Amino acid sequence: MRNIFERLISEPLEGFLNRFILFLPNLISAILLLIIGLFMGWLTRKILSRLLMILKIDEFSERHGINNILIKGGIKEKPSSLAGRFTGWLVFFIFLIISLSSLNVPAIERLLERFFLYLPNLFVAIIILLIGYLLSDFSGRAALIASVNAGLKASGLIGRSVKLTIFLLAATMALEQLGIGRETIIIAFAIVFGGIVLALSIAFGLGGRDIAKEYLEKKLKGEEKDEIEHL
Amino acid sequence: MNGIVFRKEIQERIDEIKEADILVGIPSYNNARTIGHVVRAVQAGFAKYFSDRKCVLVNSDGGSTDGTMDIVQNAAIEDFQSILLHHRVRPTFKITTPYHGIPGKGSAFRTIFEIADALNVKACAVVDSDLRSITPEWIELLIKPVIEGGFDYVAPLYHRHKYDGTITNSIVYPLTRALYGKRIRQPIGGDFGFSGKLARLYLTKDVWETDVARYGIDIWMTTTAIANNFRVCQAFLGAKIHDPKDPGADLSTMLYQVVGSTFDLMETYSNLWKTIKGSEPLLTCGFQYAVGLEPVNVNVDRMIDRFSLGVKELTDIWKEFLPKGIIDFLNKAKGLTKEKFHIPDEIWVEIIYSFAIAAHKKLINKEHLLKSLTPLYIGRTASFVLETWDSSAEEVEEKIEKLCIIFEDRKDFLINKWEV
Repeated sequence: MRNIFERLISEPLEGFLNRFILFLPNLISAILLLIIGLFMGWLTRKILSRLLMILKIDEFSERHGINNILIKGGIKEKPSSLAGRFTGWLVFFIFLIISLSSLNVPAIERLLERFFLYLPNLFVAIIILLIGYLLSDFSGRAALIASVNAGLKASGLIGRSVKLTIFLLAATMALEQLGIGRETIIIAFAIVFGGIVLALSIAFGLGGRDIAKEYLEKKLKGEEKDEIEHL
Repeated sequence: MNGIVFRKEIQERIDEIKEADILVGIPSYNNARTIGHVVRAVQAGFAKYFSDRKCVLVNSDGGSTDGTMDIVQNAAIEDFQSILLHHRVRPTFKITTPYHGIPGKGSAFRTIFEIADALNVKACAVVDSDLRSITPEWIELLIKPVIEGGFDYVAPLYHRHKYDGTITNSIVYPLTRALYGKRIRQPIGGDFGFSGKLARLYLTKDVWETDVARYGIDIWMTTTAIANNFRVCQAFLGAKIHDPKDPGADLSTMLYQVVGSTFDLMETYSNLWKTIKGSEPLLTCGFQYAVGLEPVNVNVDRMIDRFSLGVKELTDIWKEFLPKGIIDFLNKAKGLTKEKFHIPDEIWVEIIYSFAIAAHKKLINKEHLLKSLTPLYIGRTASFVLETWDSSAEEVEEKIEKLCIIFEDRKDFLINKWEV
């Protein structure tokens, strides 16, 4: 009876206790690392925000329209504070990873390994999205101004279409980078983009026959122009 | 800054000429139709007024494909007796060369300055190759104040149609006058006289990769001369009649290059213009007379449409730097009919100063900023045309004078906002 009790209860408990005692330093160090991470994150946030404020990064962002982009994205925080907060969380995140790996649990290690292998993709996707957003904003505005100056009534539509198309392209590239629905997204983009072009062709072809005729006539016969010499 | 390396044959020609007293430069690009007349007028000017001087004519060409350079080489006055009582004693030298650098008038001028420097000339002039109203007297009027009057820069003064030169009349002249305090009526006239000393100064400036190499050259030459305390005067040249500018030239690009260069110069000379109050007239050489001018075709309705389209679509961009009062005004003006359409001088001055401040503070991309000015400029031009429909040339000049005064009076607005 005693033998059975030892084999069924005592030995597993003893084993668990031994493993727990062996694991305990790892757990304590992980908790400690987490607490240090929290503190370091907070400290980094404070120092970086202050430093960026001294370097007048907020004024620089205001001048270069970065603040406007943030406001349009629903972010009302100052860029210095935002950068500080982001970096603070990044520091905490790094400590979290170190703390998790210090646990030496094979399942967590495998998960972390996969996560680290995926991380560059996430980083590249964020960069693509950011550049895509800036480029779409810039190109959309350039197209809008150019079409207004050319006297095109549909200037607003042209500007928005250029902006949306470039951002869609960037979003497609970002999703492809992340490996999310790779083929589906490319096909969907091709269909949407091709569809827009086809719709425009049909619209211009059928709806704009007279306009096209008038335009070509003006071009061939010579458009009536103001004779003002501007310079 | 590196100078231009001349082609072998041009260097040989310069070595052959060695030194010269006077140089007249003609920039060109596909001007076969008019350049022959310009060259003959310059040659006659040399013969008639500078027969005792060594004169050189330089054609700086942008790669014409219509035989412009051949016409320059072959153009000659066949019968001097019909123009002059005496033949010129000294021959005129001619140099025709393609220019280097960014395609544009400024790059053509740079080559002319380089040749002037190489020949150590005393006085230079540049005249447009599309002029139909140039006479030999223009050469005398642009060169003599330099050779005999001790002036370094001679700006042109023309009689132009009341709707001609609208960028000059509504922006460049009033702004330059308010900034630098000199009443140069045609700061971007295109035909200038200047001393060899000033040509050498131009060459020391590193601006040939900017819009100065294009349409910005005229305002850059004028402002550089004033801001560096060179002696400046004006010469009355009569009527300015010329072929239409390059048909491919887009208004917004022209506006961007000219106004952009003016704003860039505001950065360069900000310490100078902030201290200047009011303005003073300049000595004007030449006998002034009235001239008949060709009528100009203007479609005001279309101009108002362009303005309204601009206000409808670009207000979001302008909101970033135009005062709220101006935005409200523009939104009201957008819906007005031709009979009621009017952009007052005060509003226009505030718009231009606000654009200058936005460019200085780099609030948005410079090209976007200045190209977005086009609909407002068209609206202002429409308003000016409507206002002066029945006005005589003198009345129009009075109206421009009134605008200049407002630019001068409101300069504090610019200075205060510039420094904030």
